[in-house]
Amino acid sequence: MILGILKKDSGEITWNGKVVERKHVNFGYLPEERGVYPKTKIYDQLMYFARLKGMKKEQADKSLKDWAKKLEVEQYLDMPAEKLSKGNQQKIQFITAILHDPELLVLDEPFSGLDPVNTELLKNVILELIEKGTYIIMSSHQMYSIEEFASDVLILNKGKTVLQGNLKKIKEEYQANKLIISTNVVIDNVIETVGLKEYYNKDNDYTIAIDGEEDGYKLFHLLAEKDIQVTKFEILKPSLHDIFIEKVGEEQ
Amino acid sequence: MKDLWIVASYTIQDMLKKKTFLISNLVILLIIVIGFNVPNIISALEGEEENGSAKILVVDSENVFEGALSNLNAMDLGYEFIVETKNVSYEEIKQKIEEGNIEDAIVINRKDGKVHIQYLVENMAMMDEVPQEAVNSLTTIYSNLQISKLGLSQEQLASLTPNFEFELAQTAEQEVKGNVFVVMILSLVLFYAIYFCAYQVSSSITTEKTSKIMETLVTSTKPRTIVLGKTIGIGIVGILQVAVIVTVALICAKTCLPEGMLESVLDLSQITPTLGVITVIYFVLGYATYALLYALTGSTVSKPEDVQTANGPVAVVAMIGFYLAYFTMMNPTSNLNVFASIFPISAPFCMPFRIMMGVATPMQVATSIAVLVVTILVVANISIKIYSNAILNYGSRVNLKDMIKMYRSK
Repeated sequence: MILGILKKDSGEITWNGKVVERKHVNFGYLPEERGVYPKTKIYDQLMYFARLKGMKKEQADKSLKDWAKKLEVEQYLDMPAEKLSKGNQQKIQFITAILHDPELLVLDEPFSGLDPVNTELLKNVILELIEKGTYIIMSSHQMYSIEEFASDVLILNKGKTVLQGNLKKIKEEYQANKLIISTNVVIDNVIETVGLKEYYNKDNDYTIAIDGEEDGYKLFHLLAEKDIQVTKFEILKPSLHDIFIEKVGEEQ
Repeated sequence: MKDLWIVASYTIQDMLKKKTFLISNLVILLIIVIGFNVPNIISALEGEEENGSAKILVVDSENVFEGALSNLNAMDLGYEFIVETKNVSYEEIKQKIEEGNIEDAIVINRKDGKVHIQYLVENMAMMDEVPQEAVNSLTTIYSNLQISKLGLSQEQLASLTPNFEFELAQTAEQEVKGNVFVVMILSLVLFYAIYFCAYQVSSSITTEKTSKIMETLVTSTKPRTIVLGKTIGIGIVGILQVAVIVTVALICAKTCLPEGMLESVLDLSQITPTLGVITVIYFVLGYATYALLYALTGSTVSKPEDVQTANGPVAVVAMIGFYLAYFTMMNPTSNLNVFASIFPISAPFCMPFRIMMGVATPMQVATSIAVLVVTILVVANISIKIYSNAILNYGSRVNLKDMIKMYRSK
């Protein structure tokens, strides 16, 4: 709807006080559907989109070459797109979305189908854009990537909002629910003494379900009294992944 | 406006850079060059075998014509006649024909009180009756021979010779210039030029849809700009293509065809700059009509295998338009041909030739152009609306009901 692809049923979308339209907002878009002109040279199609986004030839040439270098696809600029791998085609499409330096960038599942090396490459570019002040709207099914970049989240289930707000604030509302503790001896009996029942032990690395930070500290004190050496102690709040499962699970 | 030109110029460059495009055009040009050289090639092949005109052997062993057959050569029929009064056997004649010493043979006999004339050729496949020239010439010579025996006076002889003056006239008021069949061939050429250029628009849009680049494209510029830019770009390439082909064809016709052959089928004085301009106008208008229709059908397709089905209706409309123009052209003064020259789907293939034949009135031309322009505006409006709604539909093919819904939605 922001991009003008879908028609809205009601309401108004504004950006910096102006109704969102192509002529007011300079935006970039990476669709989930990967699409390139199969028979056209990469350089030509990037240039085409840059020109459509209002860039001058020299400016577009410089920008697309810079990005191609950054994303390590420089050597493919003279090739038709059909000769490129899926991952590289995706990088080309990503360049299409950002080469005109948009103020608002919409990324739809940017990491799907990328290998770890390319994922890292893309992550760095996204972080760089965030630092530069580009406003990014990203949709993803990978909660880890959302947690890594996003400051505000919106979780939809069947088209209805189930969770919305600042990610940090949302997390603050949740009690710590997980304790990770590593020791040099078996501490099953100590854990049970504190009253904690659900835990998982792998080579004395314990993952324990807790109900608030207090539980964790209680266990820590007890271990200290018994002179048991603790090599790792971490109290965790639920991850977005957990929150998602909880929220969407509730709905269903 | 600037975007429109960017889309158009990208379309042009993209088309010109494609190998298939260059190769297919070279093939067309090659066919044209070879086609115009066919008469030269044939005469070059035959020229080595024979010099001078073909020979026909005439055997009159019973002297039915009493020596008058020598007059045959004086009648200038384009053949050399060898008259033989001795008997020549069928086998001998057969051998002479097969060896190429003679082309045909005429054997004259008396049979049951009638003069029996046999015309012998190597193969009857290409002819179903005795050549009319031979029949007429022999009849004349025989009649003259018999008349001369009657001993008539000069006046009586003169009155026997027919004194006819033939004239061809028509009942319709307008005079048709030029050869209708040549015009029909030119109409066919114009039809193909328009049709295939327009078809490119559909395939270009389908490519964008099936390669899923549409989402990126519609967020970069307006759907209207894409449709119109594409139509303009492909149209410019089409005009260039036709211009190159026509130029090559004309040069070939002038240089390769035997002298007088082009003039014999086409009155070159009719091909004026005005006609050129009018043909270009009709090409552009006809192309725009069909290209926009194809943009509509092209946008409803999401899988390459659906292209044929979706484009079917446009192909049918084009065929109806073309045949309407083509067949009514046989009778250029008919009302139906006037209708065909104004009706928007047939006008582009019809009007330029009515003008060429000198049967179109300025009023008809103006009406026809106005009707076409209005049609284009209407089709463009519908196409752009449906295109905007259909391009991001990746499900099943859009049917007529969906299209109407899309058109009505804002």
